[in-house]
Amino acid sequence: MKAFIDYFRSLFLLELFRGLGVTGRYLFGKKFTLEYPEERAPQSPRFRGLHAQRRYDNGEERCIACKLCEAVCPAQAITIEAEPRADGSRRTTRYDIDLFKCIFCGYCQESCPVDAIVETRIYEYCFLEKGQNVITKDKLLEIGDKHEPQIAADIAAQAKYR
Amino acid sequence: MTEESTITIEVDGRALKAAPGAMLIDVCDAAGIHIPRFCYHRKLSLSANCRMCLVEVEKVPRPLPACVTPVNDGMKVTTNSPMAVEAQKGAMEFLLINHPLDCPICDQGGECELQDVALGYGSDASRYAEAKRVVADPDIGPLVATDLTRCIHCTRCVRFGAEIAGIRELGATGRGDHMTIGTYVEHAMGSELAGNVIDLCPVGALTSKPFRFQARAWEMVQRDGIAAHDGVGSNVHYHLRRDQILRVHPKDNEAVNECWLSDRDRFSYQALSAADRLLKPLVKQGGEWRETDWQSALEAAAQGLAQARGDDGNQLGGLLSPSASLEELYLAKKLMRGLGSANLDHRLRQADFRGDPPKVPWLGGPIAELEEQDLVVIIGANPRKDQPLLGHRIRKAAMKGAEVVYFNPLKLDLNYRAAQWVANPRDWVLEVANLAKAAGVRKGVVNKIKVADHHKELFKRLKAADKALVLVGDLAMGHPDYGLLRCLAAQVAEAAGARLGFLTPGANGVGAALLGVTPGEGGLDAQAMLAEPRKGYLLLGIDPGFDLENPAQGLNALMKAECVVALSSFRSPDLETVADVILPLAAAPESAGTFFNIEGTQQGFNGAAPPAGEARPGWKILRVLGNLMNLGGFDFNTPLQVRDEALGMLGDAAPDNGFEPDPALELTLPEAELLRIGELPIYSVDPMVRRAPALQATADAQDAAYLRLNPEDAKRLGFTAGDRITVSQPQARKAVFEARPDPAVPQGAVALCTAIPGSQALAGRFGEVTLEKA
Amino acid sequence: MANEVCLRTLDHDQPWSLEAYRAVGGYEVLKRVLQEKTAPDDIIAEVKKSNLRGRGGAGFPTGVKWGFINRSAPGDRYLVCNSDEGEPGTFKDRDILRYNPHQLIEGMIIAAYTIGAARGYNYIRGEFQEPYERFEAALEEARKEGFLGEDILGSGFDFQLHAHLGAGAYICGEETALLESIEGKKGQPRFKPPFPALFGLYGRPTIINNTESLASIPVILEKGGDWFKDLGVENSGGTKVFSISGNINNPGVFEIPMGTPFKDLLQMAGGMKDGRPIKAVIPGGSSAPVIPGAQMMELTMDYDAIQQAGSMLGSGAVIVLDDTNCMVRVLERMSYFYYEESCGQCTPCREGTGWLYRIVHRIEQGKGRQEDLELLDDITGKIAGRTICALGDAAAGPVQGMLKHFRDEFQYHIDRKRCLVSAGG
Repeated sequence: MKAFIDYFRSLFLLELFRGLGVTGRYLFGKKFTLEYPEERAPQSPRFRGLHAQRRYDNGEERCIACKLCEAVCPAQAITIEAEPRADGSRRTTRYDIDLFKCIFCGYCQESCPVDAIVETRIYEYCFLEKGQNVITKDKLLEIGDKHEPQIAADIAAQAKYR
Repeated sequence: MTEESTITIEVDGRALKAAPGAMLIDVCDAAGIHIPRFCYHRKLSLSANCRMCLVEVEKVPRPLPACVTPVNDGMKVTTNSPMAVEAQKGAMEFLLINHPLDCPICDQGGECELQDVALGYGSDASRYAEAKRVVADPDIGPLVATDLTRCIHCTRCVRFGAEIAGIRELGATGRGDHMTIGTYVEHAMGSELAGNVIDLCPVGALTSKPFRFQARAWEMVQRDGIAAHDGVGSNVHYHLRRDQILRVHPKDNEAVNECWLSDRDRFSYQALSAADRLLKPLVKQGGEWRETDWQSALEAAAQGLAQARGDDGNQLGGLLSPSASLEELYLAKKLMRGLGSANLDHRLRQADFRGDPPKVPWLGGPIAELEEQDLVVIIGANPRKDQPLLGHRIRKAAMKGAEVVYFNPLKLDLNYRAAQWVANPRDWVLEVANLAKAAGVRKGVVNKIKVADHHKELFKRLKAADKALVLVGDLAMGHPDYGLLRCLAAQVAEAAGARLGFLTPGANGVGAALLGVTPGEGGLDAQAMLAEPRKGYLLLGIDPGFDLENPAQGLNALMKAECVVALSSFRSPDLETVADVILPLAAAPESAGTFFNIEGTQQGFNGAAPPAGEARPGWKILRVLGNLMNLGGFDFNTPLQVRDEALGMLGDAAPDNGFEPDPALELTLPEAELLRIGELPIYSVDPMVRRAPALQATADAQDAAYLRLNPEDAKRLGFTAGDRITVSQPQARKAVFEARPDPAVPQGAVALCTAIPGSQALAGRFGEVTLEKA
Repeated sequence: MANEVCLRTLDHDQPWSLEAYRAVGGYEVLKRVLQEKTAPDDIIAEVKKSNLRGRGGAGFPTGVKWGFINRSAPGDRYLVCNSDEGEPGTFKDRDILRYNPHQLIEGMIIAAYTIGAARGYNYIRGEFQEPYERFEAALEEARKEGFLGEDILGSGFDFQLHAHLGAGAYICGEETALLESIEGKKGQPRFKPPFPALFGLYGRPTIINNTESLASIPVILEKGGDWFKDLGVENSGGTKVFSISGNINNPGVFEIPMGTPFKDLLQMAGGMKDGRPIKAVIPGGSSAPVIPGAQMMELTMDYDAIQQAGSMLGSGAVIVLDDTNCMVRVLERMSYFYYEESCGQCTPCREGTGWLYRIVHRIEQGKGRQEDLELLDDITGKIAGRTICALGDAAAGPVQGMLKHFRDEFQYHIDRKRCLVSAGG
């Protein structure tokens, strides 16, 4: 009896039509794909994209060269050098992140005691020349300055979970 | 520890043997039972102020501090009972309430005793809701940075100053939680051991200023080494990040440096990245210096030396630094001997080579035994500044009650009680002669003098002393009558049954003497080969304007030479004037080598950091030079092979101060209105030290730049402090220095250091000088 | 039965003068001791018999303390008198120095003779300028009479006595801090053991006694240890000089026998000011825990009675408080004192006294928190018994005492942000 039913099923391509049915359902249903770049996927405030360095409201850079991010970085993508600034405060003279090494784990942000290094929502960037993969302190601060409202809002939104 | 003298105590259920009266914390440390502590330090007195080491002792109702609790037989101690832990946690909480917890910006972060102990005994949140204490940071000099808000008042630094450094520079002022550590009137720490407070401070209140914010503990690798600036041969740890030495810490070695390190050894690493570091070989072509590659530089050197030599090997001379390693000295000697030259010397600051030299001058005994002496007579030295850790050992002896007597041409600033018999450079020799006469010497110069009672008394005490030592140091060696002084000292020591010791120059003075880096048969010594200029010279690790006894004469002779090949880590104006080829030499921390320290201990080390630029270790340079000059036996592949051959040559040679005193030596220093005293300042001893900015910023280095003379002489000559004085010496150019009247200098003498900027123009370290206002 | 020992010259004109002291038989004991060459052990036995306990606050038997000195050991020994009377509420030694300095001098000479000291110091509180001058004048008189100096009264015994004016630190009243101060160092207590009897001034065996203890010696030797002992009660021999202050009509110094009821002492001091009810008494200087007034009225003034009531007789400084006092403010003031006077050497006291003060201050300011009282209990427990000297205990004691007896007042301050007393509660 079972062999008989199987025979008819294959004869009339029932499985094929069932499969086509699924196709048809999605063909006329609501679309999942987005028309990038006209359309964008929604982002979590926890999104871990391109790095930025932040400043305090008075314009002072936050980073104090404690080097915890450098120590915690599993890909060893961060390189820091520091020395006393003229006013005696502890500041970096070099803060490089090699984006070829970075795995965007967010540990640097987690370890930062002053919320200086953060990962922003930015994911659209490219390198046209060798060497551009290393983003320097100046660039990081520039990114931070540009996106501060968004960064601050994201950190505020996540504050209660930290 | 005999069986009868041990007692048994029980700690945490373990039975421990201990000496009666030993402190509980020491017994526990020896057994590996950890008790947290901050104020306790095994080399300092007990103060019991941190209350972190509280433990429970059976039958005692309250917890006792383990650091000051002597053990008793049958004592039962628990270090981790609820009472002990509660007490320790209580102390920890109190320590933390006013601590800023600024670990992210603290240089001690990652290697902080407070952090470590807080991990075990601290709480995760503070119950302290009030305002924290903030303390202003005094500037205490170029070596130590202060962040006194972090201070936990353990007073280790205060006790270090009082007990080890011998200067009470740091103290606690104020009461209660207003108590702050400071210098009271803001001034720099002047101790030559000041850097040790950096290691002692359990928190980040006192940190290294040159190292400030450079690196974190976890980024650095640690490599061992031997400090290369004095005969102590302090054992050190180099801390490197990305192949760069960022700081130097002491490595414990009770026999050598205990757990201390002199500032000179601690901060000289700065010179490794000095701006005038020589990174590429230099060759002079047509009066112009050209950077070149190793091949052509070595060929130029070989060719130059060969030409200068001609047919007579003795037309060459070798002046080698006493701080060069055994391997370098051995190959340099082999090279010079191979070229047929007997002119070789490492005693570059010695003025007088008359008389039979000691076979291999050395300290005369182990360094550690210095502190057990009963009487030390020091002739022509300032151990405190010359060899700071030897000075510390002598101070320890003095603190235990030993008598220390100095014979010097000027009064020293000492940190213990000692007799100082000061006389101008000529009378000084007579003072020593006086002592010799009291000792029964009856020939030569002693005939003309009358012996005084206090000399007889001193000799009597010297003879009666159980352990007595006569030390001859650098100032004596630089004297034009060193032969005589040495002879007198040896006779005194012999007559008194005291030990004779020499404070040899450099890090490897004993090694150089063992190797025989001295004139061979018919060869010229350091003085003679410059007095009778040679056609070619090999300079190893020296700067001729600074490292020679008579720089005017030396520079002159080198100028006249056809070829001067210098192996140097640094460029310098003098070197560039006189040399023809300068080969970049790896500095001591960058090269493997062996030193024999002043007590004759052989200490080997590996290169801790790669040489800067294209610099190469000395043994490699000399090896290739030997091969290029077609001398046999230069086929070495490793420094170990060089060392083995050198040690093989030494055989069982050992340091030996023995020599045949020549009582007929005459006093040659003429009488003059003013005689120079050419001290070697603590921070001028070698090219590296002279290029460490932090050391050069210290008071010791700054003060060395002045021309000091007795206030009476100054008045007579019409000089006041700050006057610019032109100094002239026979056969030397004139130089200008700033005058500073100083009662420490006897009348008829002028203290004008050697190896300081400006002194290159001058002649010998002692001798007649004339002064006039510039 | 008052003023029989330390203040016995008070009835005379110019009681501080040598004549006045001679009139009560002064220096006779010294003459007798030196002439008869009384054995030091006999003197110590007599002092032991008298049951004289250290009057500085700790109450350690004086005779026993003297017995600790090894007189046969070679080298110098020192005698030091502790007149650094800094305990708040105490002003008895001041009056001994002002009105009867010669008796102290005589007592010190006898003590020095007993322990074999050739040099003595009287460390006088920095603020005591007038007593210091009186004492110096008395010293000069005694030197002139040959009681001090070399070969005293032809006995061959030498004793030099010097007055040393402190610089105003409470902690220098602690015996080892006092020694440090005499040596010219920062006044910080030493860790004990070794005790001063073994390792004292300049590292030499030293006996340190309170002014009142030393001043009692001549009378004890004159009239006998038993006489002195019988003045007081069991375990507390002799008379005691009490300094009573606070909300009373006639604050001052009273020398009365040990064991006198507090009620009588209060009577002597003129009773409560304005007839207000007694709220509390601090019986032995500010470090002694407070005792509620009602309980205190039933007590006698001697070591055992006060100790059983949970406090201590201390230096005999009785501070009487009436019901207008807010105990929070009282404690705030006392905590501030210990905060200011902690020497800063050891951790629990240096950090803890400041913490205690800041919390109490906050409560007083109406900014207290519910957890503060438990915190105070806990912190005092971590200070008391954990410090090098007794200042830690002294700072913790008042807090513990106040919280024990007047916790409700503190709670009121925290709950209502205002004072129970001024609120009329």
